[in-house]
This record gives sequence, C-alpha cells and structure tokens, in this order.
Amino acid sequence: MTVVDAVLTACPFCPCGCGLYLQCDDGKPSGVAPSRHHPISQSRLCARGWGAHEAPAWGERLTEPLVRRAGGLTPVSWGEALDAAVSGLNDVRATGKAVGVLGSARATNEENYLAARLARGGLGTGDLDSCLRGTYLPLARGISRGSGGRAPQGSLVEIEESEVVILFDGDLARSHPRAAFAVMQAVARGARLVTVSCLRTQLARLAATHVRVAPGGQQEVVAGLIASVVEAVAAESMTERRAPEPAAEMAEDVKEAGRWYAQAERASLLVAPEAAVGNSGEALGFALASLSQAAGHLGRAGSVVLPLPVRWNLRGACEMGVGPDVLPGLRPLDDQAALDRLARAWGRPPASPVGRDAAAMLGAVGGLLVVAEDPPSPLRHERAAREAMSQLDCLVVLDAFMTPTVRAAHVVLPIASHAECEGTCTSADGRVQRVRPCASPPGSARPGWLVLAELSARLDLPSQFGSAGEVLAEICHVIPAYQGLDHRALDHGWGAVVAPKSDARPVESFPQVAGAQRAAGDGSYLLTLDGVFDWGSDPLVALAPTLSRDFVSKRKLFAGGFLEMCSEDAEALGVRPGWPLRVKSRHGEATLPVMVRRELEPGLLLVPFAFREQAEGVLGGDDVVAVQATRPAG
Amino acid sequence: MEPVTAQVLAKDRVGEWIERLMAEAEVIAPVLAHGGDEVFAPIRSPGEVLWEFTNPVHPPKRFLLPQTDPVVAIRRGDNGYELEAIVDERRRVLLNVRSCDVAGLAFLQHVHAADLPDRSYLERAAATTIVCLSCPDPCPLGFCICSGAGPFAREGYDLQLSDIGDLLLAEIGSERGGELLAATDGFFRPATLAEMAQRQQLEEKAKQLLSEQTCHFASAMRRVSTGRVAEDLWRKMSDWCLECGACNFVCPTCFCFSVKDRHNGDGWLRCRTWDSCQYPAFTLEASGHNPREERRDRIKRRFFHKVSAQYYQRDGMVGCVGCGRCVEVCLGTTDMPAVVAAIRKGEWHG
Ligand code: SF4
Ligand code: SF4
Repeated sequence: MTVVDAVLTACPFCPCGCGLYLQCDDGKPSGVAPSRHHPISQSRLCARGWGAHEAPAWGERLTEPLVRRAGGLTPVSWGEALDAAVSGLNDVRATGKAVGVLGSARATNEENYLAARLARGGLGTGDLDSCLRGTYLPLARGISRGSGGRAPQGSLVEIEESEVVILFDGDLARSHPRAAFAVMQAVARGARLVTVSCLRTQLARLAATHVRVAPGGQQEVVAGLIASVVEAVAAESMTERRAPEPAAEMAEDVKEAGRWYAQAERASLLVAPEAAVGNSGEALGFALASLSQAAGHLGRAGSVVLPLPVRWNLRGACEMGVGPDVLPGLRPLDDQAALDRLARAWGRPPASPVGRDAAAMLGAVGGLLVVAEDPPSPLRHERAAREAMSQLDCLVVLDAFMTPTVRAAHVVLPIASHAECEGTCTSADGRVQRVRPCASPPGSARPGWLVLAELSARLDLPSQFGSAGEVLAEICHVIPAYQGLDHRALDHGWGAVVAPKSDARPVESFPQVAGAQRAAGDGSYLLTLDGVFDWGSDPLVALAPTLSRDFVSKRKLFAGGFLEMCSEDAEALGVRPGWPLRVKSRHGEATLPVMVRRELEPGLLLVPFAFREQAEGVLGGDDVVAVQATRPAG
Repeated sequence: MEPVTAQVLAKDRVGEWIERLMAEAEVIAPVLAHGGDEVFAPIRSPGEVLWEFTNPVHPPKRFLLPQTDPVVAIRRGDNGYELEAIVDERRRVLLNVRSCDVAGLAFLQHVHAADLPDRSYLERAAATTIVCLSCPDPCPLGFCICSGAGPFAREGYDLQLSDIGDLLLAEIGSERGGELLAATDGFFRPATLAEMAQRQQLEEKAKQLLSEQTCHFASAMRRVSTGRVAEDLWRKMSDWCLECGACNFVCPTCFCFSVKDRHNGDGWLRCRTWDSCQYPAFTLEASGHNPREERRDRIKRRFFHKVSAQYYQRDGMVGCVGCGRCVEVCLGTTDMPAVVAAIRKGEWHG
C-alpha cells in the first residue's frame, strides 16, 4: 500500500456512511476525492461530501483552552483548563445540584462512549443525552421491539435491488443523498416506489404511487398497509378459511401498495427522520416492524427495514450509551449482566438511574459538560434553552468550532475536528468505519477522546487510554454487538458491520396511536415545522463557504423567518413570494412572509426549523396545528 | 500533431528513468491507495507507479487546478492592504496520464490562455510535463473515441508511452518531451519501423474495441444549439439529478470556480475554489435573485456549455473527452452519454 497525499475517512455529514479521501495542503484540509471501491459510496459523493474539507479549514476554530475569568474567556494551559473543568463540575455537585453530560451526533463513537462513561462512571449521573437522540432512538427502538430485535436490517446497497420500496419521506434528496440514490437506482431497475409524505419531493415524483399524508399521519398509512398485507397474504393462503374484513376506508393507493409489498421477493421500508412527528417515533417504528413481519420480509435476506438518523453519528452516539435511559450497547438500565461488565471495565459500577433528556436537563442541572454540540440549535425551544445555558453555574464545552454555546462556556476545551481526529463512526445501516486524520489539530487543540479521558481520570475514573484504538478496544469489550468487529476490516477494508442486536424479548402489543388533527374547511391549513433535518443547523455546513450559500442568502433576506406553501395555495390566497401572511391557531397568531415551495402538498404550511421561535405563538408547543391563513389587511 | 520521432526504452530500465525524473521534479502518477483505489498522487518511489490500471476516478486536473487554490495573499501593511500574487512554479511530471486526460488538460490550457490569460493556471501548466500512457485496452465506461480524445493521444502531451511487450515506445509530442529523452541519454534508443508498426496495431485494435461506444455528440449538438430540446425533457431529466456537483468536479474539462477569502494569521488568503454549475447557489445574485433557480435550467446550461455549436466553435472541441467519469460518479442517472442519448431521441426513460 502506498501513502498518498490524502487519507481515506468517513464522510462527516449524514449517516449514509460514504467514504472519501480528505486532501491536505499546507497543513489544512484542502479538497476531497471519491473512493472507487468503497462499498457504500462507490465513486459517488453528494455535495456535502465534496465539501467535507471546508468547515475545518474555513470555520472559526478553537485553538487554545479557555477559562472564564473576570475579563471573559481567557487562554490558559491545558492543565489549568482541565482542573477548572473538574473543579467547576465538582463544586456544582457539592452544592447538591445535578450535573449533566451531552454527547453528540457530531462526535465519534470513542468520544460518545467516553462521554457516557464519564457521566455514569465519573460523575455518577444519569443526566446524559444527545440533542437529536429523540429523532432516532424511539423509532429504532420501536422497530426493534416490534421485530423481536431482528431489525433494523439491511443496507443502502440492498435497497437498490429491491422490487418494492416504501419510503416515508422527509426529503431524502436533501437529507440523505446516498439513500436517495439507492432509491433512484431501484426505480431505474424497475422497482415500484411508494412515497408517503406531506411533500411531493423529488423522489415522490419518481414514485409509482405517492400517498399524501398530513404531518404525523404516517401511522394511519402504516396501519392501512398492514391491513392490505394481511388481506393479500390471506388471499394467497389456502389454509385460511376466511379473508379478514377489508379495512373499511382503506384508500385504493394504500391497498395496492400493500399488495405490492406483500408480493415482492425483496422489499425495503426506508424511514426519513421527519416521518416521526412529536413523540410518535416508537409507535411508528413498532408499526413498521409489524408491517414487515406481516408481509414476511422481517429477517429475509435482501429485504430492508431502515430508519435514517438525521445526522452523522447519531446511531453510534445512541449505541455508545448516550441517553438517559440506556447503558452502552442500548442495554436497559436494569440489565445486571451489562452493569457487571461495565463495572469490571470501568473499575467502578456505573450509576444507573434514569436521567433527564437534553431538553429537561437545561433548567434543571447546575453544571453541564457538552461535547461537540450547540444544544439550543437542534432543540425545539431554542430561546429557553439558550436562556437556561446562560444560567448554568458551570458549563464545560469541548468543540472544534466556535459556537454560541462556546461563547457562553466557563471552560472551553478545544478538540480536533473530524479532519484531524482518530476514531470510528457508525452508519445508518450499522457499518462501523474509521475516521482518520489528514492534518494536525490547530494550535494546541487535542483529540476529543484524549480530553475526555483526562477529565475522567481527574474524576477518579480509571482511564488509561493511550489512543483512540484503546478506547475502541474497551467499546468492543463492553458492547456485545461491537465485540466481533474485525479490526483488519476496519484498518485495511471498508469497516465492519454490526449485526442488529438480537433481543429475545417477546414482541409487545401494538401501541395506541393518536392521529394528527386534520385541517377542514376553507382557508384552513395545517402548520408544522419543517423539522429535524435542517441543512444549515449543522455547523459543518454552516461553516463551509460552498455549502452554506443557499440558506445563508435565504435567511438573510428573511431574517425574521418565513413560511412555505405550495404555489396553488399561494395563488388561491393571492399572495406572492415575500408577501406577509397571517396565520392564526387556537394558541395565537403570527404574520410571516411567504415563500413558495413547489413540493408542498396543498393545505400545508411549513416553517423551517430554524424559525421555530417565530412560529411558536401559533404552534403553542404542538407539533402540528390547524390554522386559518389570511392576507393581513392593508 | 504527428510524432516527430519515437524512441524505445527497455521496461527493466523504467525505474531508473523515473528516478531521474524524480530528481528534477515532483512525479505524479497513478498509484494504489486504500483498499486498491487507484489515485493520482506524488510518488515516493518508481515501484509505486501503476502501469495497468483503470483510470483513477479523480482526474489529474487537481494538480493544476486544485479544489482550494490560494491565489493572492492579503496583508495589512503600513499603507493599507498589501496584495501579493501566489505563484506555484513547482516542477511536476504527470506520468501515465491517459489520452482523455491529456485532451482535458489541453482544453484547460486553451481556456485559461484565451481572452484574459490566467497567470495562476498558466504558470503551473508551464512547469508541468505531461507523459501520456496510451490505452490498448479501453476502459469499461469510456467513450473517448466519440469525442476524438482517445484511445491514443494525438496532441497535448510531451511524451506518449505505449506498451509494446518488453519495451515502452515513447513518442515525442513537444520540444520539452524531446529534451526529456535527450537528458536521459543512454536509456532510450530510436524505435525501429517494426516497433512503430506494433504501436500502430495497438491503436487500431483499441479503436475497434471502442467502436461499440456511441455518444452521438453531433446530433445532440444540432438540437441543443438550435433550442430544439423540449423544456419538458429537461424537467424530466432534472428529477434524476441529486445536484451533487460530482460531474463537474471529476470532469477533465470543467473549470468553474468561486472566490473566497480565508483568514490566515493576521491576513487573508484569497482562494479560488471549485464550484459546480449544478449547485443552486452557483448563479445566486447578491439581491437574492437566482436566474437558474430550477434544476432543469441548470442541467440545460451544463449541456449547452458542453455540447453546443457555439462553444464548439470557441473551444475547438466539445466540452467532453469521453473519459466516462461522470457515468461513474453521477449520484443520479444524468451523465453525459445518457443525456446526449435523451436529447437525440427526444425522450427520457429514467
Ligand atoms: S450521502 Fe451522506 S455520507 Fe454520502 S457524501 Fe452525502 S452527506 Fe456524506
Ligand atoms: S453527477 Fe449526476 S447527480 Fe451529480 S450534479 Fe452531476 S448530473 Fe447531477
């Protein structure tokens, strides 16, 4: 093998798991090249992948440890900063207040694992979370419960071979381009695509059937699909005496889609993060597993049931135990075998109380350790979260980039970005890949795993890690699914795939699902947040000059927010792009300028997640509200 | 240009020859990277150089036109800002470049020398020696024969090597190529007529192997240049593009860029950075207006630039060298041969 002026690493944006070469010039990441033989990306990359070098080179980087003194954040030595962090957190604990830890979808497995270890092992707290966990784990957990642990299953590449693909779409073309390409390939090879969404997205336009739903209405469709599958399977089965009563109001398109799904040899269920609205994730996941099981696709080779995490290493963060109600390996908190294993590895028993989630932590804890995240930006109530962050007695932040959270910190510990660190990440379909450095971290910034290990040691948690590899070795030791990771495949191949957790617990009963209220009558719309995936809220996008242009320009033009509607609706209301529209719900009202988005279904108003505060008066904490929309007089 | 002369070199002496080249310049050649990926990279020893390989998916253009290219250093001086052009005159040898890439580099040379000569590009190019390796076995996705860019180069190289058994035959394409041989006195000897004939046979055979490849630029050009492509066709095709920009980035003839300033110490570096006409923000104006907001308009623009008669006249060739890279990298299905076929037939299948 030859050393070249570029290193193979994993793309740091979405969880599709593409591999790419990062090039480096004069000590700075300077470009990207695709990998021909990488099994996921196969010579391909999306726009973000092609810009993976930009944020580390162009973004505002943290280069030295900082501690808040009278005059603001002041450069100090590493020793001082680490001591300040530990004593700050310990002081908070001494006053009887809680301290919490936030891992991140932007951090490696090693960083997330050490964050979880530090929380439960070093600080003895269950207040441990990552801000985006709620958009993924409930869905994955629902799928796992509904399938007896046999799913999520399948890979992006297998989708390409599917005969039927049912896609619960957010807008995959934007959020998960490699997955969108897999769907496109399947269609090009003759597969029937069914899209279920409130948006007529690019992929919906390629679909054999597009099932339009109100936001949060996916569950009804899944229920309809299950009914149709049951009917189709019964019709085929000779032993069945009587076909079940056909669901009364089942729409013809759903019925047909269910038949296709039941009859296909290989079929895929693909779920974008937007599909689960509010707290419906687990129920939706459970229903999807049931659908797959009813049609006989569960556990069948070539069939895919895959929820897509919204950001890079979200799956890895969850599996490393970053969550208030899980242990590493996604084990329940009362799993004695897991607790014992951890206690042996850590030299100290893990604290196992159920903690608070990210949103609840803010406002409740006095001290917080944040790894590579600006928590308010992905949280629903941004302003309240920022306010709560500013009230903390001790905020310790590890990040590679300057963020508003860093500005509010008491101790800032600069760490390597994805372009400078070693570690691993886990893709949507469970491929664990190496992240490799192409440059040294700027200034005196250190690898995140090292900083977390040093903090842990100062908290008297034995942490003798000499490298990221040694952290991984412990991960492989304590997390059964990671036990079999083939290190040759990690080092010389393209990573290794972790098998779905085999969970022998019985399949639980079907949870009850509350449907979203539908809009009815004239001038009434459903208003919801175009949430979860937000191109611009990822700092790796926001700090990349080529990638950030679109949303920067849009948000500059409409700094106070806007709402999107389809052109038919805009015409019917007589509004043009940029014109104000008043929307009124039972909670309150707001007036926002209109942008036309071709892909929206009629009757729907979307507010970009970044502008959720501007629409909060109307949403009143709900995920979807019925509103009346009118042109303001004058 | 007809080869002036040809010489031959015994294969077992190639290593010594490359060592000579390495003493004088940075030698960049296809080598194996992670997991068997073929990439162009600066070599550390002659043994790394690949002689039988599928052309790397990332073209050698990045050594002349990097993705991030600092072109001006900006500093605060006593009397305001001081500007200094950054010039890269490092001597490079691009070794074992395929004929499609040679044609691509010739195209870039032409574009950057025309109108307002681009000094940054031209100085790099002037210090770069191009050694082509002809293609006796055409690559699986290439269609160079359709754009006249291969499988053997006709111009644009300093040397063109062909593998004729135990020997490498070197055709001299420029004065610099001639000097390169002269300087390595004793390694090469003049080719015999039989050896020349052997090379000719290789070319004929390769052309035959490529004759299946059809990318009918001429008829697509007629339609594109006269606006006879239905808007609806562009719209349909645009649903099969995920606007990744890869088609532009790996295209040996694409050169569009953006300009950005990056902090550097207490000054800035003004950088030329790759950009893609398939990105919505490529034509975004400061006012927020975007003349090509719709993807169909961007695809249309891309193919107008690539295959219209207007640009053919200006540049002397279609903006495609038939390397097949866009087929390989497209995160959709709208690569050059697919779109050319759709334009020609007036229909898109997906
Ligand atoms: S699809 Fe995802 S993993 Fe692949 S290049 Fe794009 S952002 Fe990166
Ligand atoms: S490579 Fe394909 S998907 Fe990517 S921008 Fe070009 S045409 Fe579109």
